[in-house]
Amino acid sequence: MYSFQQQVGFPILSVMTFLPTLGALAMLLLMRGRPHLYKYTALATTGATFILSLAMVWKFDQYTADFQFIEKVNWIQRLGASYHMGVDGISVLLILLTTLLSLIIIPASWNYIKDRELGFFASFLFLETGMLGTFCARDLLLFYVFWEIMLIPMYFIIGVWGGPRRVYAALKFFLFTMAGSVLMLVAIVGIAYLARPNQYAAPVFDLDQLQHAVFSFPVQMAAFLAFFIAFAIKVPMWPLHTWLPDAHVEAPTAGSVILAGVLLKMGGYGIIRFCIPLFPDAVVTAMPYILILSIIAIIYGALVSLVQKDLKKLVAYSSVSHMGFVTGGIFAFSVIGLEGALLVMFSHGLLTGALFLMVGFMYERLHTREISAMGGLASPFPVMAAFLLFFTLGSLGLPGLSGFVGEFLSLLGLFTYNKAMAVVAAAGIIMAAAYLLWMYLRVMFVETRDEKWFRLSDLNLREIASLAPLAGLAVWVGVYPDTFINIIQPSASHLINHISPYLAQHGDFLTRFFASLGGGR
Amino acid sequence: MQHDVVAIVPELMLVAAALVLLLIDPFLPAKGRRGLSWLGIMACLPAAASVWLARSQQFSTFSHGIALDGFAVFFKILLLAVAALAMLLSEKHLARNGRLLGDYYALVLLATVGMMVMASAIDLATFFVGLELMALSSYLLAGFFRHQLRSIEASLKYFLTGSFASAILLFGMALLYGLTGSTNYQQISIAIGSGSLDGHVIVIAVVLLLGGFAFKVAAAPFHGWAPDVYQGAPTPAAAFLSVGPKIAAFAAIIKFFTIMLGSEQARWVPLMIVVAIATMLIGATMALLQHDLKRMLAFSSIAHVGYLLLALIAAGQSHSNFGSSAILFYLAAYAAMNMGAFGVLVFLANSARFNDSLDEMAGLARRFPGAAGVMAVLMFSLAGIPPTAGFLAKFYLFASVVDAGYAWLAVIGVLFSVVSAFYYLRVIVYMYMREPEPEVAAVMEPGGGRSWDLSLGLGLATAVVIVLGVLPAPVLNAAQDAVAKILGS
Repeated sequence: MYSFQQQVGFPILSVMTFLPTLGALAMLLLMRGRPHLYKYTALATTGATFILSLAMVWKFDQYTADFQFIEKVNWIQRLGASYHMGVDGISVLLILLTTLLSLIIIPASWNYIKDRELGFFASFLFLETGMLGTFCARDLLLFYVFWEIMLIPMYFIIGVWGGPRRVYAALKFFLFTMAGSVLMLVAIVGIAYLARPNQYAAPVFDLDQLQHAVFSFPVQMAAFLAFFIAFAIKVPMWPLHTWLPDAHVEAPTAGSVILAGVLLKMGGYGIIRFCIPLFPDAVVTAMPYILILSIIAIIYGALVSLVQKDLKKLVAYSSVSHMGFVTGGIFAFSVIGLEGALLVMFSHGLLTGALFLMVGFMYERLHTREISAMGGLASPFPVMAAFLLFFTLGSLGLPGLSGFVGEFLSLLGLFTYNKAMAVVAAAGIIMAAAYLLWMYLRVMFVETRDEKWFRLSDLNLREIASLAPLAGLAVWVGVYPDTFINIIQPSASHLINHISPYLAQHGDFLTRFFASLGGGR
Repeated sequence: MQHDVVAIVPELMLVAAALVLLLIDPFLPAKGRRGLSWLGIMACLPAAASVWLARSQQFSTFSHGIALDGFAVFFKILLLAVAALAMLLSEKHLARNGRLLGDYYALVLLATVGMMVMASAIDLATFFVGLELMALSSYLLAGFFRHQLRSIEASLKYFLTGSFASAILLFGMALLYGLTGSTNYQQISIAIGSGSLDGHVIVIAVVLLLGGFAFKVAAAPFHGWAPDVYQGAPTPAAAFLSVGPKIAAFAAIIKFFTIMLGSEQARWVPLMIVVAIATMLIGATMALLQHDLKRMLAFSSIAHVGYLLLALIAAGQSHSNFGSSAILFYLAAYAAMNMGAFGVLVFLANSARFNDSLDEMAGLARRFPGAAGVMAVLMFSLAGIPPTAGFLAKFYLFASVVDAGYAWLAVIGVLFSVVSAFYYLRVIVYMYMREPEPEVAAVMEPGGGRSWDLSLGLGLATAVVIVLGVLPAPVLNAAQDAVAKILGS
């Protein structure tokens, strides 16, 4: 067992998770009324957290699928809940993404937020704790607590610092997510009590023990549906995605970046971490339906992006499309597909995060996000145009950048399973090229609409500094993905080994499924 | 079980303090009354200490009419804490309304004595005495602002419906006595368990008891009085009345339904399911429509009673003590968060021109950031969002329901909790996401302002809400142990 004592000597996961909370509390309690300190405290805290996460990756043993840096103490003993933290290859990359994006959004909102800065930066720090805790928790109750904690700061971020329809968007976001997660809570309780060795024992919330529990098929199916709906809302999967465009359009830039970059990943992460190991029978049974939903999401998201007039909404709907590759890759149940799904998640965090940042920078200058109101921005803002081109190309899957690797692997996984599905999904990439390049054309080229824009400044050093690391990582993943795949590999193949007996048992369900659709041939 | 008058020492202490308060009040000048609340609060401390010292033993007195067992210890400490918190919230508000009198604290203490007797009664007659003491004191507390029409109206409504409820309960108890020939809980339980009694009469008794208790805890369909009473009563009294009587009534309900009528659960569980669902439905949907915060909190507390009844169903159904201990933990969490929420309203009424309407909360975060922050924490807790007491209480409660085999009831319950999240979040929307409208917004008034005991009370309530949400183990264990010791079993 890889305990934190052996690996680093101090509880690195807890320190990393709660450092932002400490920073936020320090701000709230000690620095009230000294606004000049807020930004620097937030920057220092997220910076330190990022460095800790780098140290964690450095010390991470990438030759094992075991959980590492394990911390475990009793929490609510009689309820069988423990404070159990640990990471494997699946969570490490997402943690890195979280700490990186949390760091980047602080300088990105340096001058943007003028009202109630204290609450703004404190919210983001609390949010970071929630996100990191969610990725580290190895106890279902603990996971649920962190999962729900994320709602509160995000609700405030959208509702207080958002656009004109912010209250509606914030409420919709909160209630959608909560409706999904309370059902998951009932399922968590249900399986925790069914997994008891006898009826006098405490319930089992610990994932290490739950993984060995075997549930009957109806229980698996019910619990799987409850979990899956909660995660599918977060992903978001078509047709549960309707909160996403509202939340993105109304959220402040930094909120959109975190929402797209990290919060959407929670859905995919939850499916990989909980649904597959806990409910293998149900997952395999649901596989074809979910694959079909994923492909609908890919095509639907792309088609809707094509007709968006608002730049931010376009990026938001493109997320629905990209996330289709995540669920598609996961539910293809091959090592390649799973690795692809995780890389899509990572790269989507980088590229879409960067695109939202860019939309924010453009809005700060032009005070509009309407595509039709822009045009010819390349002449007044050449640096901005270069960066936008870079991230646009990355997002549409240009080989050599991160978007390509993930989507390619995800499609490969899908292809080995069912060729027709892979072909349809690949059409999504072509459509991505269409809506993204067309957007770029309308925004950056044609004639410059407003002469005043020439008097505005191009991206400044602070803004470039927040985009550059994302661009650098996107190139790294695109050119040499092995660095990242090696981290994922052991955990991914461990998971696929776990599920493959069930797959074999069910046979090629999809073939039977289509045969039944075709009518008794 | 030892027979000793020790069993009622805490009650005697409170009665003595109440009498002292009543006696010295007329001789004090107006200014001298300022410290009276502390006399009441200080009386709760030795009472709680004496309860605590008796926790490892069991005492009974009044020829097995009242018992100080582990179950009663939990409830008495909770009730004393509620009483002390209620008095912390009150002083400034009474003074601003020109009603700073020792009588108020005496009434709070006497009501608490009644509640404590209800929690530790093991005999129908003793229970009823406690109930009436609590009820009569509560009616007076509701009407304590006698110059305000609404307060008098609240008192009268509370009195009329409460008297009906008491009579119905008494009728149910009389039937039980007639059937079994005893007023002792344990003997009634044995007689009913023997199965030789007339089932039809038991059903009538169950319905009457359920109806009476539904009145007392404001469960559907007998919930109608609650919004009017909470709205009209002085806000600190409403804080007390929305929590204390419910705690005491649930202590009695647990004993009545899981012990006395435990063998008859097949008769009362279906009825209770209907009542619980109706209560959640009415509480959650009606709260959506309220614009007055006190009425909103009243309907929200009705919804919370619905959840508590779910746990009671679990307690009746399963043979473990899980459901009952979930009720105990939930009551502790509910007491802190609900009284805290009323406390914020008291604070606003003290500091500003404030009529409890949602509109006046607009932009509160700018003018009273501390009060808004406390209110936000309490609203999240009432909605059941971690890391607050409200979440763990709900989690534990729904876990007991699932464990008892009622997963579908738990699903209904959590869906109502999503509905209820909407109206709790709306308060936060007003406080943080709207700008104040100058005509209606609560304005700071000269002469208004803070009182440190109110701030202390709010701070304590908020701290309890967060601590119970993060480290619930001690209280959870206490609740489980308390239920294990119910009726000396």
